[in-house]
Amino acid sequence: MSPDATPDTGKWEPKIVAFCCNWCSYGGADSAGMGRFQQPPTARIIRVMCSGRIDPIHVFNAFLEGADAVLVTGCHIGDCHYVNGNDKTKIKYKFLEDVVRELGLEKERLYLNWISASEGEKFANFIRDVTEEVKKIGPSPLKPEGVA
Amino acid sequence: MEKGNVFVGWSINEEVRKRGGSGGLVTSVLAAALDKKLVDAVVVLKKINEFEAVPVITSDVDEVLNSAGSLHSVPSNFAKLIADKGMRIAVPGKGCDVRAIIEQGKRNAVNLDNTFIIGLNCGGSMHPAVTREMLETVYNIKPDDVEGEEIEKGKLIFKTKDGQEHGITIDELEEKGYGRRESCRYCAIKIPANADLACGNWGVTGDLAGRATFVEVNSEKGAKLLQNAIDAGMVEVKEPEAKGIAIRGKIKGVMEDLAGKWKDKVFEPVDDRLALFRKELENCIDCGACKTVCPTCSCGEVSKCTQYHSRADGYKMSMFHLTRFLHLADSCIGCGQCTDVCPADIPLTRLYRRFANPVQDELGYEPGMDMRKPPYFEVKLND
Repeated sequence: MSPDATPDTGKWEPKIVAFCCNWCSYGGADSAGMGRFQQPPTARIIRVMCSGRIDPIHVFNAFLEGADAVLVTGCHIGDCHYVNGNDKTKIKYKFLEDVVRELGLEKERLYLNWISASEGEKFANFIRDVTEEVKKIGPSPLKPEGVA
Repeated sequence: MEKGNVFVGWSINEEVRKRGGSGGLVTSVLAAALDKKLVDAVVVLKKINEFEAVPVITSDVDEVLNSAGSLHSVPSNFAKLIADKGMRIAVPGKGCDVRAIIEQGKRNAVNLDNTFIIGLNCGGSMHPAVTREMLETVYNIKPDDVEGEEIEKGKLIFKTKDGQEHGITIDELEEKGYGRRESCRYCAIKIPANADLACGNWGVTGDLAGRATFVEVNSEKGAKLLQNAIDAGMVEVKEPEAKGIAIRGKIKGVMEDLAGKWKDKVFEPVDDRLALFRKELENCIDCGACKTVCPTCSCGEVSKCTQYHSRADGYKMSMFHLTRFLHLADSCIGCGQCTDVCPADIPLTRLYRRFANPVQDELGYEPGMDMRKPPYFEVKLND
């Protein structure tokens, strides 16, 4: 059994990399836990100070290292702790999205979502929905050999 | 003389007229600019043989006058040559040269205020090695016997030393896989309206056909450049005939339609694109030549695309290629330099354009056509 298969079913579980900004969506992930909202253990959270710091290269690297889906999350537009960091995220994401689609990856593998620190339930639901979608389409074609 | 004027002009110099393709106007304008100290240097092609030439920056008026004449099999791009030179310079160039220079200008590698750009009509250029092969296999003539070439009425004509002319239509050549470079076939910038002066033989009618050049003045700088050459007594201009302007528009339209057809043909939709990219790129030897020549890149030695890349990672796709795809999605001008230099014969321009076509269409952004910054650099996108 591979280390990433769940003990009870032995079935393949997707690996999801979630980039969260320190002030909103990371807080959202925190309140999801505090509020005891159930979510699958598929997400690996990477905290960044601002979603504007997320370079498309980080997302490519996540895919190349074996992520089945990548989530880019940040504060709601207008709520950025650094005034306009998430406006920049939006522009970068637009390009990233166009390139990732054209590259031939399914649209279920890349998401942009705005989650505030109080929206714990939204965060949990988001992870659950993405996990469901990714389970339907299977492992990423960019996953390196030998990575579950 | 001001922006928006059109003229038909020719060189006063008999020798230049004889050597130059269409009246030698461009050569004389360049020579006049140098002579009257409007610029410090100009870029010209120094001919090696019928198929090869190297672009050089020169301040020698005689060298400029000797460079008269066109070469279709030299797909060079002048943008990176004149980058970071810090002098007043005049450059003649095809549509892709002009776009490349403007892109370098946006990236602060070229000072556009000090750069006079003379755009030339271009229906496409050819790769020297492919041209040699084509001469041997399709034309059945020895490449070394060739003494001149010309494109007329859709035919590519080579003149040999024994005085004979060999012409074959470009359509026929392209069916056989020769002819123009692939990026030229679907290039839609046939008249570089983004240059200071747009010159070419399309639209020259009557007695002057073949002996004069049609000039569009597209900017104040262009007007200054042409007026300088007239004042120096090196060129003569007159008003074009209305018929000529109509013909020019018609040729442009026909060429653009043809480019559109090629575009549809080359960029057929593919279902498994990831497999296509991986297959095309599997022979990559990581030399970085495509990035070095790329006229929309001005990173220099230290750049993200080469820094974060290592074969030892064992990734299914190289980080280098992904970063290049991302960068070129908004910036690619489709000049074809990357394909030309690739030692592994990867059709890189075709791959980059697969990303660039939809992105640039969607954003309504044409790189190199105006001074608009790449959308990636904007702080807010207009929704």
